[in-house]
Amino acid sequence: MIEKQSWWKALGVIILLYVFVMGMVTPLGSGILEVEPRSIESGTQSTFVVNTYNTLQNIESTNAWIRLDSVNAIKAKETKWLSDNQLKITFDIPTYLPTENLTDMYSLIISDPENGAFVRPSALSITQKNVNLEAAANDEAFTNIEGVHIKDKMAFPFRALIYETIRNTYFHVPLWFAMVFIFMASMIQSGQFLRTGDPMHDLNALSFTRVGVLFGILGCVTGAIWAKNTWGTWWTFSEIKLNVSAIAMLIYLAYFVLRNSFEDEEKRARVSAVYNIFAFVAMVPLLFVIPRMVDGSLHPGNGGNPGFGGEDLDNHMRKVFYPAIIGWTLLGMWLSTLMYRIERLNFKLMDDE
Amino acid sequence: MEILKETVFLLRKEILLEWRQKYAISGIFLYVLSTVFIVYFAIPNIQTQAWNSLFWMVILFASVNAITKSFVQENSNRQLYYYTLVNPQSVILSKMLYNTILLMSLSLLSYAAFSLFVGNPVRDMGMFLLAIFLGSLGFSITFTFISAVAAKASNNATLLAILGFPLIIPILLTLIKLSADALGLMRDSSIDTDIQILVAIDLILMGMSFILFPYLWRD
Repeated sequence: MIEKQSWWKALGVIILLYVFVMGMVTPLGSGILEVEPRSIESGTQSTFVVNTYNTLQNIESTNAWIRLDSVNAIKAKETKWLSDNQLKITFDIPTYLPTENLTDMYSLIISDPENGAFVRPSALSITQKNVNLEAAANDEAFTNIEGVHIKDKMAFPFRALIYETIRNTYFHVPLWFAMVFIFMASMIQSGQFLRTGDPMHDLNALSFTRVGVLFGILGCVTGAIWAKNTWGTWWTFSEIKLNVSAIAMLIYLAYFVLRNSFEDEEKRARVSAVYNIFAFVAMVPLLFVIPRMVDGSLHPGNGGNPGFGGEDLDNHMRKVFYPAIIGWTLLGMWLSTLMYRIERLNFKLMDDE
Repeated sequence: MEILKETVFLLRKEILLEWRQKYAISGIFLYVLSTVFIVYFAIPNIQTQAWNSLFWMVILFASVNAITKSFVQENSNRQLYYYTLVNPQSVILSKMLYNTILLMSLSLLSYAAFSLFVGNPVRDMGMFLLAIFLGSLGFSITFTFISAVAAKASNNATLLAILGFPLIIPILLTLIKLSADALGLMRDSSIDTDIQILVAIDLILMGMSFILFPYLWRD
């Protein structure tokens, strides 16, 4: 039986279940893992073997292009599926390319009705012996990319390097969001305590802070696992966001040290409430301003902007990501009410003695 | 207006007190000089980058030492006496102002000592002085408030470092960036934004201590 006022706890659990199921079951979109060979010369007929991901072989017309610039592309002469995840593509590369560089990296685009369209940026490089823009401009081998099959199936974007770990977006990122919300709730409870002097508010603030620190640690751990799989290291000190999150943890661990250094309960509650409010306000520039000042973050969003969105979060991911924030926050609230009840019982026991 | 009058009065009291028992302030100045001397001996050929970091490290530790005594030095009975006379805001404001002045002179002295022993790589004097001013203000606000918190607990010297250092890092990082600009280590077009950020952090923390201090002194 669920009590009436506990509906939000059930809601949190249901949302998180939805997040786990959708986040884990939804497949990745089709993508290109590897292109062999990586570099070719112009003026030749080149055959590539492309290893694809999450594709089905298709006898129907599969098209492929090498994208040279916004108007020029080379269309594949022939495509042939070797297996579900291997495609053989043959291109006739003209001698002169419409570029001033001798060697350049180009993207490969594959499209068919079954798998939809997928791209690998900078998939291969083409070297030409001389530059001849005039000859290239008159060459009819260059076409526009036309007839691309856009297929909007429920799938998460395929990203080089990240691959399946993109699902960590529903753990790592919402845990940080939830942590900030929970610290905010803790600060509000501390403010309530200073206003009313009711020790229950202080116990509430303590419970919220504990859950906030727990979520912070979980955010660090999920981040470390992600970093190990994408950056190749558990932790790096050259990354500003890792440093500021470690400092944020120090700020709140100091809160517990401060609490423990008092004998008198009323004084402990008052001073730690004051510190809690001050610490939250001081943490805001730390988490939200400092990462924007420092260039060269490995996190998504470049140019020192830690913003998260655009290409990193498409509409299918939003359907899981936003509920995940709400779900984790509600779960944190529930955890902290449990801790609060333990603290309240302890408080009552102490009072009775 | 009452607060302003009281603040000026308390500030005069702080300065007078310091002037009468000169050992505290001369102790801090001596501390800075000997630290700079150690830096000079420890690192013979100092690079500009290291100069910048070491300068702010010296200021940071000197500030902690100078400010620890803000609330600890005076015994609780005397503090109780102040609180019956004046507004709590005047107390914290006067301490912050006094500490800002103290840290300004401390920073300028360290700068002089650094130039004498280690070298003077500062190119943009105005920017560097601005960094020293905003830094002294920020250090003073944060550490004064934290020392008021720590003074309520036993074992407050350790507590000041534990509570204060994580909180000071946003200010410290911005300061190091500002002074790196003044030292010609980097050219950054967004330096005006950094100054605004630093001023904003200083003002917000000052506002918070203003609101929160009255809850702290009540015993």
